[in-house]
Amino acid sequence: MRGCRPIALVAALACVAVLGIAAAAVTLDDFGRVLAAIPVVNEARVMAAFGLGLKSSCCGFPVDETYRLLERLAAVSGSAADKEAIVLAIAKAIEQGIPVDSLLNKAFEGLARAVPLEPLGQLLELRLRLLLESRDLFYSRGIFRASPGAAVAAGATALPPSQFDGLLSNFSDALGDYLESGGSPFEAQQIYDEVHARLTQLSGTVLTASDVDLIFSRIEPADLTQVVLTALR
Amino acid sequence: MTLDARDSLDELLRETLRQDVAAAADSLARLEERVMESLGERLPKRGILGSLKALAAPTRGGRWGQLAVVGATAAAFLLVGTLLSDRLPFGRHEGPLRLGGAPAAATKSVASRSSAENGVLFILPALNARVVSVVGSFSEWEPMPLSDDDGDGVWTTEIPLPPGRYEYAFIIDGRWWGQDPSADEYIRSFGEYSSVRYVGGGGDGA
Repeated sequence: MRGCRPIALVAALACVAVLGIAAAAVTLDDFGRVLAAIPVVNEARVMAAFGLGLKSSCCGFPVDETYRLLERLAAVSGSAADKEAIVLAIAKAIEQGIPVDSLLNKAFEGLARAVPLEPLGQLLELRLRLLLESRDLFYSRGIFRASPGAAVAAGATALPPSQFDGLLSNFSDALGDYLESGGSPFEAQQIYDEVHARLTQLSGTVLTASDVDLIFSRIEPADLTQVVLTALR
Repeated sequence: MTLDARDSLDELLRETLRQDVAAAADSLARLEERVMESLGERLPKRGILGSLKALAAPTRGGRWGQLAVVGATAAAFLLVGTLLSDRLPFGRHEGPLRLGGAPAAATKSVASRSSAENGVLFILPALNARVVSVVGSFSEWEPMPLSDDDGDGVWTTEIPLPPGRYEYAFIIDGRWWGQDPSADEYIRSFGEYSSVRYVGGGGDGA
């Protein structure tokens, strides 16, 4: 009988752990509740986007972080429209299959710094456009996010999703930081140098060295001016 | 003395003063110019060529000693100017500001670069501070407290971070401080400075 006690204890702890994990997992209903607390007008669209995100949570959608951002957003004072603009920027990124980590980081920082919600939403919208334009640039240079079963054209390169997302996120983030630091969108070489420095610094750690080399073998300084100007329009 | 006699005396004194001033007026005219002209005549005249010759003339320190002193001074100014222009985060700048050392603005509270075995060590000397914390992309910008157990004014915390790029700032008694001298670079974020540290690889934040 005494020998059974440790086993029962371990089993009980395992059950508690499993229940705890199950209870902690954020569901679509949780998103619905927190969105109602904000509240948002385009709830159906946002819920659809978060539903999409939850389905792809295996591939990098940061469910918990997104939920915590919405909780914080619901708690701060401000107009519902300004809050919705922030939520929509995240939702649009999910709809487009864009990594949202950098958007979440900026939103968290903005809230921590007590930045007014309207300019915060505008900044996130700009960051989103930079992400989209950067991705289009990657695509135009034959650098793609690999999807199962999709054929890769000759001369094109399909990177594993996590590698592609990491590359895109840091590439676009460097552009956003450059602009926010007061950099001119017309200084092609300077923009290029900033992006080059950022990706090179991360090469071999969070980015694969060959991916970084691939980017700079196919992208010219003038391309970056084009991305930035298009995003600013 | 009667009233009439005193008035007469006053009138006499005024008239005498008027005559004295009138007599001196000619001698005082252009006095400053004349003094400068006189000084100029007594000083040796030296043109640009003369100045250069004088500079190259032998001195007690040797023929080229004077030139060496002037050259060294110019080089020192040039070096200091170049270093400061690269490091000082003054005014508008384009893109992240990469650092080779501490910004002048932060040298009064020198924070040291910090690595730890199990995480990244954040150190901030902040004398007389009551509460110090660090916020950053590693904490969803939620404050993580630094401690100063021995009360020497050096606040520290160690945060385990995987390799990557992290933006952060310190909060000292409620005020944000985004220019950690031990940062790898600074960026402007929402109009304020944030520090950036690269962990792993060449960044060696940890």
